Amino acid sequence: MTTTVVLIRDTDSGGADRTRDVHDLFTQKVRDAGLQNEVQVVRAADLGIYNKGMVAKILPQGIVYAGIADADVDDIVTTTLAQKMPVSRLVYCGANEQVRIVMRNCGIVNPECIEDYIARKGYQGIKRALYDLTPEKAIEELKTSGLRGRGGAGYPTWLKWSLARNAFGDRKFVICNGDEGDPGAYMDRSVLEGDPHSVIEGMMIAAYCIGATKGFLYIRAEYPLAIKRVQKALDDAYGTGLLGKDILGTSFCLDLEVRLGAGAFVCGEETALIASVEGKRGTPRPRPPYPSDVGLFGKPTVINNVETFANVSYILLNGAKTFASIGTDKSKGTKVFALTGKIRNSGLVEIPMGTPLRVIIEDIGGGVASGKKILAVQTGGPSGGVIPEQHFDTPVSYEHLLELGSFMGSGGMIVMDEDDCLVDIAKFYLGFCVDESCGKCAPCRIGGFQMLKVLEKITDGKGMPEDLDTLKRIAQAMRKASLCALGQGAPNPIISTMKYFAEEYRQHIVDRKCRAGKCTRLMRFEILDTSCKRCKLCVVNCPVHCIAGDREKGYRIDQEKCIKCGRCFEVCKFEAVARS
Amino acid sequence: MEKITKDRLDEVLKNPPPENGRYIRVGMSSCGVAAGAAEVFALLRSEVEKRKLAVPVVPCGCSGGCHSEPLVEVCVDGLPSVTYGKVNAEIAMRIIEEHVRDKRLVQDYIVDAPMKRAVAL
Ligand SMILES: Cc1cc2nc3c(=O)[nH]c(=O)nc-3n(C[C@H](O)[C@H](O)[C@H](O)COP(=O)(O)O)c2cc1C
Ligand code: SF4
Ligand code: SF4
Ligand code: SF4
Repeated sequence: MTTTVVLIRDTDSGGADRTRDVHDLFTQKVRDAGLQNEVQVVRAADLGIYNKGMVAKILPQGIVYAGIADADVDDIVTTTLAQKMPVSRLVYCGANEQVRIVMRNCGIVNPECIEDYIARKGYQGIKRALYDLTPEKAIEELKTSGLRGRGGAGYPTWLKWSLARNAFGDRKFVICNGDEGDPGAYMDRSVLEGDPHSVIEGMMIAAYCIGATKGFLYIRAEYPLAIKRVQKALDDAYGTGLLGKDILGTSFCLDLEVRLGAGAFVCGEETALIASVEGKRGTPRPRPPYPSDVGLFGKPTVINNVETFANVSYILLNGAKTFASIGTDKSKGTKVFALTGKIRNSGLVEIPMGTPLRVIIEDIGGGVASGKKILAVQTGGPSGGVIPEQHFDTPVSYEHLLELGSFMGSGGMIVMDEDDCLVDIAKFYLGFCVDESCGKCAPCRIGGFQMLKVLEKITDGKGMPEDLDTLKRIAQAMRKASLCALGQGAPNPIISTMKYFAEEYRQHIVDRKCRAGKCTRLMRFEILDTSCKRCKLCVVNCPVHCIAGDREKGYRIDQEKCIKCGRCFEVCKFEAVARS
Repeated sequence: MEKITKDRLDEVLKNPPPENGRYIRVGMSSCGVAAGAAEVFALLRSEVEKRKLAVPVVPCGCSGGCHSEPLVEVCVDGLPSVTYGKVNAEIAMRIIEEHVRDKRLVQDYIVDAPMKRAVAL
């Protein structure tokens, strides 16, 4: 017999935490009903439900009650715990259901144990492909599934494979793109570390479909644990005959190998990545020809993202229809996001396409940790954009995010609150692209640098209204003329913040103010003579000795010399230094 | 290593191996390890061995709840499986003594990890 467990948690953030009181009340009632040997009442740390009052979750049934008043406890004990009947008026059905396809085994299997994966129906997808489907049929299955690439642009996976299958070449290759370099993104790392066999199986299916006999997993060198687990998974796959020659008793042969990423963000771009695997410098080249025609060593090559491959093995196992039943019209299946920034529950979430941003941020992510107002969320990494709070009811899909001037990207989602300055954020992303630009083409190399100079001017308090037009003009040129998506996408964070947060730009340029206090050059420190106690603490702490005066006359900051470091503001014990 | 054949895979589909009913799983991906999962894992293993408890301690990947790592999921006879968050050496000891040995869940550290809410298809 399994003991029934009642998990208790006060989910309201304001006011006193009543978890303990209600736990004690519950325990007493359970004892009164004589159920203490069958029921345990336990205080939980987090039930993944927020601002829904007192919540109880009953295990193993999984019933959730929310908004419980003390008077309801009796009812729950007599009805649910004693008679095993639900108390319907209290039942909570959250909107925050995740769906796990890519992460179906993450947190469940031992990633270093191939038997665990087999027990979870692993390698059934490739078995089905080899025995029950021709390559054409398998590609057809992917077409029905509607799977699109998860590495950024959302190109239909079946089409990419079909092109590579039909391309002429005496050898063909598959590559898994595990270079994941977007700031704040780590979905691919998690899948490689948590369930490497699902990615390997996806690559096997791709190789079978296009007729490849050799493949590479390109993983960034900064991911040592992922590399180790993938290598172990490959060794085990070879050891059990799932890689190498005559796989599963058929004539299908495949060799897979790990290659370490060279460390540059641009190496995640497919043509640069291919050059890097070939041992050349990782710089992009013009497309067409696309890798599906002319790829690795000039041969037809399929290159897909880690998450894409993990979806492929699921689709072949469970069927295209099951997969296509999830998501929106044009965006099928799920997407994994790495939720970071000013969010209570930073971590990975996998949601069906079409889930509103608000559900991800508020219900699953639990909202902003500080209780401050959410301003926006950044998606799509350095080529993405910022989506303001008023658009949080938008469903997440390739199309909808594009409409908002952002981008699905690989799945970074950074939440920003009132303490963030949107101009500063835009400058951060652009700075990232300028640093990572390979310098091969002028629009990106020069345009990015020029835009950054203009932004620095604005955040330094020297901006002019016409600077905004300059930014737009350079952005146009970069979008049109850059060779790869790094340069084409680099202006996106600026353009989208200019669109949604025009007022912030205006404040920086006209009022010379930064609302969030992030642009230090725009700040002004002053000593309030009436509050100043003449303790001299600020004077001795100022690194540039620009605070002068004496006990009689008081102290003053020389604004010309002040470097806005904020030391005086921090050290003053009497709140006599004003920051504005 | 034993070869995995088509017959073997067919057999798994026909007669799925029973889910292992007893385990202590520790999230051992980068996020878990960074939060101290390796020490927690080693401690749980050595305590289980020392006390000859019939429950395997196994590593697993990240279930997504990175903010509450190290995560430890405990499934033993007679109790529903639950996950503890932000586990350190002290809580790990309490998990062994209170949860595994005395069959009483540890107060204040259970998190309903996203994994538990997910509809695994
Ligand atoms: C600068 C740059 C960086 C990129 N980085 C990655 C990356 O880290 N991982 C990835 O899968 N795709 C990345 N891409 C996209 C790849 O070029 C390519 O579109 C993708 O791997 C295709 O896989 P998919 O069809 O499965 O999405 C990057 C593109 C650019 C322009
Ligand atoms: S757009 Fe930038 S990163 Fe891409 S090829 Fe040109 S210079 Fe290099
Ligand atoms: S630290 Fe504050 S109180 Fe002391 S001298 Fe400076 S401003 Fe005045
Ligand atoms: S902000 Fe820094 S430099 Fe300016 S007065 Fe204060 S301590 Fe000196």
